[in-house]
Amino acid sequence: MEDHEGKRILVIQTHGVETPTRTYSPLFYAMAAAAMEMEVMVWFTMNGTNQLKMGEAEKIQLDKTSNVNLKTMLTMAMDSDVELRVCQQSLELWDMTPADLIDGVEILGATSIIDLALEYDHVMYF
Amino acid sequence: MSHEKVNECVILKDLHYSVEDNTWVKVNDDGTVTVGMTDVAQSLAGPILHAKTKSVGTDRKKGRPIATVESGKWVGPVKSPVSGEIIEINAGLAGDAQLINRSPYGAGWVVKMKPENLEAEIGEMTTGDEAVARYKEKIERDKIQACTHIAGSDTY
Repeated sequence: MEDHEGKRILVIQTHGVETPTRTYSPLFYAMAAAAMEMEVMVWFTMNGTNQLKMGEAEKIQLDKTSNVNLKTMLTMAMDSDVELRVCQQSLELWDMTPADLIDGVEILGATSIIDLALEYDHVMYF
Repeated sequence: MSHEKVNECVILKDLHYSVEDNTWVKVNDDGTVTVGMTDVAQSLAGPILHAKTKSVGTDRKKGRPIATVESGKWVGPVKSPVSGEIIEINAGLAGDAQLINRSPYGAGWVVKMKPENLEAEIGEMTTGDEAVARYKEKIERDKIQACTHIAGSDTY
C-alpha cells in the first residue's frame, strides 16, 4: 500500500457530548493519520463545539473500566500534533465564549473552513 | 538472554533502548539492526489489532515512524530509534499483529534496518543495567501500571 506521508487531512466534527459514541472515532482517525505523518486538523462546529467547553469532555467515558475519557482523547490528539480548531460562530450556539474553551484550541471563522476544505488533500466529515 | 522485570515489564539487558520512545534495537552480526517495541509499549497499547509498517527501501531519520500501530484504545507511531534504510519488514505482523504483544523482543520485531549513523546513535540509547534503571524511573514518573501479557506471551 502506498505511503501517504505529508498529505493533509481535515476532519470536521459536528457531534458533541449528547452523542458520546460519535465523539471518539473522529479523534482516533485523526491520531491515526498523524501517526502516519500526515498533517491533521479537526474542525469542531455545530454540536461538536460543546465538547470543547472546559469540564464537559471529562464527563464522556465510553468504557467505564478504562480511565480514558473524551478529554483524554482530545489531549492525546493534541499531543500527537493534531490541530484542534473551533468555528467561531458555533460558540454562540452553546453560550460559550473563548474563555470557556479548553487549552490548545484555536478559533477560526467560517471563511477559513472553506479555504481549508479547498486546500487540504482530503476532508472527513462526521 | 539476561533480563530483569520492572513492574512486571521485561527488560532484556542485551538490547539497546530508546526509553522515551519505547523501542529497542538489536545489532546483528552483519551490521544491520532489528527494531521493535518494548514490553512496556505493547502493554500500554493493549491487544494490537493492526500494525502497518513502512515499505522496504524507505529511508528514515531517527525519530520518524517506521510503523503505525493500533489497538482498540490507542493508535500511534513506532518511532525509529536509528537513522537508516528499512531493508526488511516483519511480514508476520500483517496477519497477526498481536505477535508484538506475545513476543515483543522475538517474533514480534517490527523492521530490520541498515543503519547509517549507528555508532553515534547507539551511544544515545541505553542498555544493560542502565536501561533497567531508566525504565524504573520512567515507570515511576509516568505512573505506568504493571505490564500485562496476553495468552501465549513469550517476552524473553
